[in-house]
Amino acid sequence: MNSKSHTVSSATDAYSTNDVSVRAELSEIDASIRTASVFFTVSSVLWLLIGSVFAIIAAIKMHHPVFLGGDAWTTFGRMRSAHLNAMALGWGNNVIFAVGLWIMARLCRSPIRHGGLLLIAGLFWNFGLTLGLAGIIFGDMTSVEWLEIPHYATPLLAFSYLLVGVWGIMAFHFRKGAHVYVSQWYILAALFWFPWLYAIAQIMIIWFPARGVVQSVTNWWFAHNVLGLWLTPMALATAYYLIPKVLGRPIYSYYLSVLGFWSLALFYNWAGVHHLIGGPIPVWLISAGIVASVMMVVPVVVVGINHHMSVVGLHRAVWRSPALRFVVFGSISYTLASLVGSSMALRSVNEITHFTHFTVGHAHHGVYAFFTMIMFGGIYYMLPRLLKREWPSATLIRVHFWGSAIGITVMLVALHVVGWLQGVQMKDATIPFLDIVEMTLPWLKARSVSGLFLTVAHIAFAVNIFWMLFAAGSFRAKTAPTLLSKNNGEAFAK
Amino acid sequence: MDVENYQDLMPIILLGIVFFISALGMFYWSSKRGQLRDFDSQAKTIFTDEEPEGVVSDQFPDEKR
Repeated sequence: MNSKSHTVSSATDAYSTNDVSVRAELSEIDASIRTASVFFTVSSVLWLLIGSVFAIIAAIKMHHPVFLGGDAWTTFGRMRSAHLNAMALGWGNNVIFAVGLWIMARLCRSPIRHGGLLLIAGLFWNFGLTLGLAGIIFGDMTSVEWLEIPHYATPLLAFSYLLVGVWGIMAFHFRKGAHVYVSQWYILAALFWFPWLYAIAQIMIIWFPARGVVQSVTNWWFAHNVLGLWLTPMALATAYYLIPKVLGRPIYSYYLSVLGFWSLALFYNWAGVHHLIGGPIPVWLISAGIVASVMMVVPVVVVGINHHMSVVGLHRAVWRSPALRFVVFGSISYTLASLVGSSMALRSVNEITHFTHFTVGHAHHGVYAFFTMIMFGGIYYMLPRLLKREWPSATLIRVHFWGSAIGITVMLVALHVVGWLQGVQMKDATIPFLDIVEMTLPWLKARSVSGLFLTVAHIAFAVNIFWMLFAAGSFRAKTAPTLLSKNNGEAFAK
Repeated sequence: MDVENYQDLMPIILLGIVFFISALGMFYWSSKRGQLRDFDSQAKTIFTDEEPEGVVSDQFPDEKR
């Protein structure tokens, strides 16, 4: 690199420059995406509540099969798939659209153009998903895990995503300042990865089905990459933005963060085949997947060092910040869940954990304890700044945090322990299968209890959000609000 | 339409190759544009006049600073 003009320099900082034509104020950027982000946030929270109901029904049925047993539409298979899609595509994608686009706009230092059109994307997404969920519940679902939504609803989702993706990429295109922060890398890459995954999986499994095992390879390539190349980068982008931002201290090692991004991009997309260990597919393919899964230790350790070292010495500030409580819980979970995941890909471990509750526990470790907790933190930081209002109740935030933290911990312990016991016992041919099923019952009841904790937490979260949105005038802004910056401290004072 | 042999997947394989090359292109672009050097100052680009470095910017609504 020879030309100085191409290097990153502080002179191109669009926040601090005196040049009015370059300068972009955070508040102006926030205002440009306010309507769309609030719409996506509200949608995500509603799906979170709906998904919780499906989850509890499915969880209770695991130890009490006659519960709601009279109708076809409340059978376990449909409730479980409705739960998965409501959470992954309803809660997950809506919150990603809300928080991810907001972070992208802020880091690009450029207001979102025609942000109102994102509302159309939001309407299509939620209408398509409602149609898809209705299809699942009334018997039209496909037999492919993570792609259960019937074919008549997917075009709506694809159209909606197209709008969101284009808007995210356009925000990047119109960015000010030469530097691309690591969160932008993650979000930009994920905006390309998700449509690629979804389109290829739809084409090869639903529209022009490939023969035989190619379908299952495609299925698990897709399903695992939704976690690794869509939910994970969006949550990491949020953590990489919020941890240094809230603490007012730059990330521990920016060099490591760049290494982490590129090694994730290199290794993760190979890893999904580990779901088919022991299956009738070429062994080299499975071995490649195992190698990639173990290589994921590199980005995981790198991200772990970065996130954890960034908060060292500032634990009190973390604890006093609603956003960081959730984000740091999520970061710790990322390290743990990923290391457990890498070891689960080893053949010797997988022959015990495969086809057990261990896998279900691991999925919730990743999607809830890591992704969802970080996204909760993202909303706690984003909404006060978008709405220029304080969170109405600190108690509800605490109820949300403790409900989520205790609930997910109980669930993870229960499912990991029972999964392991189940796996070991199923390898012993002298133990009758029914004995193993009965052994799992107390643990599955514990999982249902954990679901109640999580649901209470979600209700507290929803109440706080709707209180903030619709009854903001009825409470007084507190003296030491979430919005601490002295510059905008006036904005919320009534 | 069922895909009966691997050659029918050729369009997707070609697309995949294009996708992979574009990822390499992005990596090359980032290196060319100085994204992979001067890491210390790059880590500070998230701070602004409104939300500056050295100031904790989030706290529970009921806690005194």
